[in-house]
Amino acid sequence: MVYEKKFAIATLIFVLLASVASACAPAAEQSSTAGENASTTDLDGIKTYLLGKSSELTTSSKSLKAASDKYYEMAKTANFDYAALRASNALEVSAALTAAKSAWIVASPLYEQMEGIVAGTPNLAEYDVILDAGASGAEDPENAVPFDLTLPDGRILPKPGNLFGVLESTLWGTYADYTSGIEADLDGNGSIDFGENLPDANVLKAGADALDQYTTELGSAASAWQPTESDAFTALVVMVPTMSEYFNSWKNSRFILGDASEQRDFVVISRLLDIQNILGSLQIVYGEVKPLVESADSAQAAQIEQSLADLKRFVADVHAKEQNGYQHTPEEADVLGAEAQNRATAIAGQVAQIAAKLNISVEE
Amino acid sequence: MPKILNRFLIAVLIATLAASNLLGAASAASTSPAQAAETIRSALVQAQLSLTNDARGSADLVQDAETMYQTALSTGISTSNSEAHLRIVSAFKALKESIVESDAVSFAAARAQIWTGILAGSTTIVEDAIQSGDGLTAQTWLPVREFRTATRFSRPNVGATVAVENFITGKTSTDATLLSVRADLLDTYQARLTESLRDLTVADGNGFSTRRAELAALAEGYLFILSPAYLEQRGIEALSQTQAAFADLRISATDDPQLLAEKLMIVEKALNNFRAAPLSPAEQSRRAGQLVRFLSLVAVEYGRGVVDGRVTRDIEIQEAITFYTGAYAAFSDLKDLLDARDHQQTVQADALFVSLGNQLSETGTGKSVARPEAIQSQTDELAALLKILIPEDWLSNSAQGDFDVIASMLDQMLVAARSGEYDLAESSRLDAYAIMETGPEAKLIVFAPELKLRLEELFWNGQGEHKGLAYLIKNRAAYSEIKATRIQLDTSLTEAQAVLGKNTAPLAIAMNAGIIVFREGLEAVVILASLMSSLKSAEERRYRKPMWLGVLLALLASALTWLLAHGILQSLARYGEKLEAVVSIIAIAVLLLIMNWFFHNTYWTSWLANFHSQKRRLLSKETGLWLGLIMLGFTSVYREGFEIVLFLQALVLEGGVGVVVLGVLVSFAAVVLVGMIVFRLQKSLPYMKILVITGVFIGSVLLQMVGSTAHVLQVVGWLPIHVVKGLDLPYWLGTWFGIYPTWEGLGLQFASAVFVVGSYYLAEGLRKQRIFSARPQMPHTLAEPLKVPHPKTESIEITT
Repeated sequence: MVYEKKFAIATLIFVLLASVASACAPAAEQSSTAGENASTTDLDGIKTYLLGKSSELTTSSKSLKAASDKYYEMAKTANFDYAALRASNALEVSAALTAAKSAWIVASPLYEQMEGIVAGTPNLAEYDVILDAGASGAEDPENAVPFDLTLPDGRILPKPGNLFGVLESTLWGTYADYTSGIEADLDGNGSIDFGENLPDANVLKAGADALDQYTTELGSAASAWQPTESDAFTALVVMVPTMSEYFNSWKNSRFILGDASEQRDFVVISRLLDIQNILGSLQIVYGEVKPLVESADSAQAAQIEQSLADLKRFVADVHAKEQNGYQHTPEEADVLGAEAQNRATAIAGQVAQIAAKLNISVEE
Repeated sequence: MPKILNRFLIAVLIATLAASNLLGAASAASTSPAQAAETIRSALVQAQLSLTNDARGSADLVQDAETMYQTALSTGISTSNSEAHLRIVSAFKALKESIVESDAVSFAAARAQIWTGILAGSTTIVEDAIQSGDGLTAQTWLPVREFRTATRFSRPNVGATVAVENFITGKTSTDATLLSVRADLLDTYQARLTESLRDLTVADGNGFSTRRAELAALAEGYLFILSPAYLEQRGIEALSQTQAAFADLRISATDDPQLLAEKLMIVEKALNNFRAAPLSPAEQSRRAGQLVRFLSLVAVEYGRGVVDGRVTRDIEIQEAITFYTGAYAAFSDLKDLLDARDHQQTVQADALFVSLGNQLSETGTGKSVARPEAIQSQTDELAALLKILIPEDWLSNSAQGDFDVIASMLDQMLVAARSGEYDLAESSRLDAYAIMETGPEAKLIVFAPELKLRLEELFWNGQGEHKGLAYLIKNRAAYSEIKATRIQLDTSLTEAQAVLGKNTAPLAIAMNAGIIVFREGLEAVVILASLMSSLKSAEERRYRKPMWLGVLLALLASALTWLLAHGILQSLARYGEKLEAVVSIIAIAVLLLIMNWFFHNTYWTSWLANFHSQKRRLLSKETGLWLGLIMLGFTSVYREGFEIVLFLQALVLEGGVGVVVLGVLVSFAAVVLVGMIVFRLQKSLPYMKILVITGVFIGSVLLQMVGSTAHVLQVVGWLPIHVVKGLDLPYWLGTWFGIYPTWEGLGLQFASAVFVVGSYYLAEGLRKQRIFSARPQMPHTLAEPLKVPHPKTESIEITT
């Protein structure tokens, strides 16, 4: 009996110990992800650059808002009778709209100079959709902007598209729904040129207010953001291949097709300049991680740096020709676009390979 | 003198030329193959662009490119792939001729031939190097490659690079490395081939003659790279015919564009169902998992967005479309393989997908709104067809597909949160968690319980550095906060994927199943065995029957839960945690009552006597006792029954019924053994010791139950969470003993211990008081003790 009891106790203890042992089994080994490579590279330069551009962007969006508000007040005083507004306040209206357009022309490239980082960083990418990349709900529901625009007069524009696009088409009258239908010789040269019309003041104000709101939010988000190696590599891999999108925009823009273009965006600033600005920001990013890349493959590190510079120069050369009055044919634009895309894909591929070697995750 | 001078000058000239050639060669030799290839490629592009206005410049660039090829690449390529080398050499000749003729169209075609020739040569060199064990040569030449055209949403393949790295360090075999490298490169070039043909159609439509020629030549060049795979799969005759078709296409693109469309159709027919790099079993499983999961969600989301024939929630329709797109993309990737299994059914499935897509699209654009029942019916029909078509083993190991679906749902959650639609965000969050719970969580419980805990906190109400998603959504937190938690969750999910990828062997799955059942079953068996063994007298032994009845009912309930269709489990899985919380609370309440009955018969009976002193007799005390014991038996087993069934279902899907049953049987035997040991141990002990041991066992289990239940209540947000700062407990204390470092959990455990111990002394005190007051007054001396009888002692002595 005593023996049985002892045996039973021993068996029970054994079973309990086995249970505890299985519970204490080491947690599975960590997968090789970014977690293992907590940022040891100094990436402050990226953040400093971003915050600087963000601050400038906020300033110019406030200027745009101020000019839009002025125009709105004038339109409101005229009871939104734009013909009457044109007749009674031509100079003030011209000044306000010129100021708004100027502010837009400053703000848009500023954003492009940070877009490479914003769009390529998971934490911040949503702002790129809102400000510059998002489609309208009517065009592309899956990639549409996440907001509706509520106008001061109560109208709601459901998912109208990215804010820079909305404001560009409003200010330069490339989308009838956002204009008053009233043309005006804003520069006083005696003729109605491209973009000389009175925008719908409600749309302009709502768009400018939203731009101000989201650029301010972006500034806060950027301040809170701590760049990681994964962020940097993701930005490079994600943004460099977008050459195809931008070249497609350029191919279909007024800069290639002239008046035959049906595109309502990218009518003021050539997409080629945008591409250069984006690449410039990506060069900043790459500069910060280059030492890390060199540790894995010094030859590849040099090649990537050179490739980025070559791609930017390639685009700059095409832009310079355009600025000098040369109008590329659609086929030339197609060839150039293909070449830019090929170079960009090669760079993105090389960066992705290095990231894999360094065990740094590139976010999906 | 002049003669000598002349000869000297000539000698100097020759020496200079020789030196510059040597330098050039040395320079080229120090240039990596990738750099050389890129130099050649970009030089030829520049040459083409300047052909019409600077023929001389073009010629110089072509010459430089040819020199670079001869010095840096030709040796390697001509050795490994002589055909590629010949194509390159003849193309350079064609380039020079086209410069002379200012023929940009021919130039573009020849340029494409050179580039694809270099790619073909490099591919062969890499494969040869791997086969001969020379990892360094493979690594040197691998960067001479292209990638799938990258977008914002797709990432370049890295499989080949990683494989070669591992090959060099000896982590992978030659065959495995070759497989990975081929999968990457062949997939890339087939994608590029497809793109070329697509862009060719566009270029032709736009009348771009130069681009047309280039793209047709590129397509032919990519086929050249894929020809070994084509030969292996289709045979020499088919390859010859296809090569001829592509040659016709190239000629037509330059000489006879009117026939291009016709030639394209022939080429596309030749490529139909050809997949150069077959999907690996892991990729097949992944896509099969995505296909099934995404499809099952289409009707669910659609039904939430349409009421009375009108779209009430646009975002739900968009989610339905997103899930449909995911399912169809996965189906498209598998189509060739499915078609080889059953052509007719595959065609039928494709047609159903197209029909479903059209209906969703029309609802999305507002043209017409299909009834949710119609969408459900279509998805059911499609799911049933796919169930027959898709091999079972593709659906095992589909954890990767589950993670893809979880990611997609979390994307929907973010979109909803961004739009301020927090109820939709919560719905998406629950859907994502339901997939997690019915899929990967089952294995994480065993192989990475700490990770499971972390995921749970991030999905629900964690209060760490990143608050849980349920908490944030409930409190309508800022989008940035929700996004930050999502990013943290993604990191943990990536870790989980890596864990699950390593633990798929049948033994691992059996062990998984066994440990889950053993751990959950242990607690039930300890309670029941302890109680049953201490019911020793004939009269008490009858109280074992209701406990057994409760256990039996719980097992039947568990079996019924198992038999429910997986789809129902899927939708119920959203509520799994809350169901566990409710049943756990009932289990604790019943256990507390039963403990009191057990230890304080008079307490229990007097409580019941009070209860029954009311006018209406609702229950006889015996009936009440039986009900309590039945509930004890039931809740002890079923408390974890629902979740165990979910987990075992997931394991069955992965490892098959046999493996899981094996694990369950082994653990069941272990649990029964423990129960028998507890029973035998207690049976042979004196009664008081039984009471003590039973009390200790049940008390321990009670503390574990209270702690675990408090944790579940905190997970679902029914109990607040206040973390004990500075107290860092290992995860297994929580998993096994219900001890978590929160004030609520520890406090409730302490309170329950005080309650049980306190009620014991209270009841004892009451009992002694009653006996003392009932005893007749008799003189006694202080020197002689007065023993108070205990109702359960074997003998009662009263001495004076």
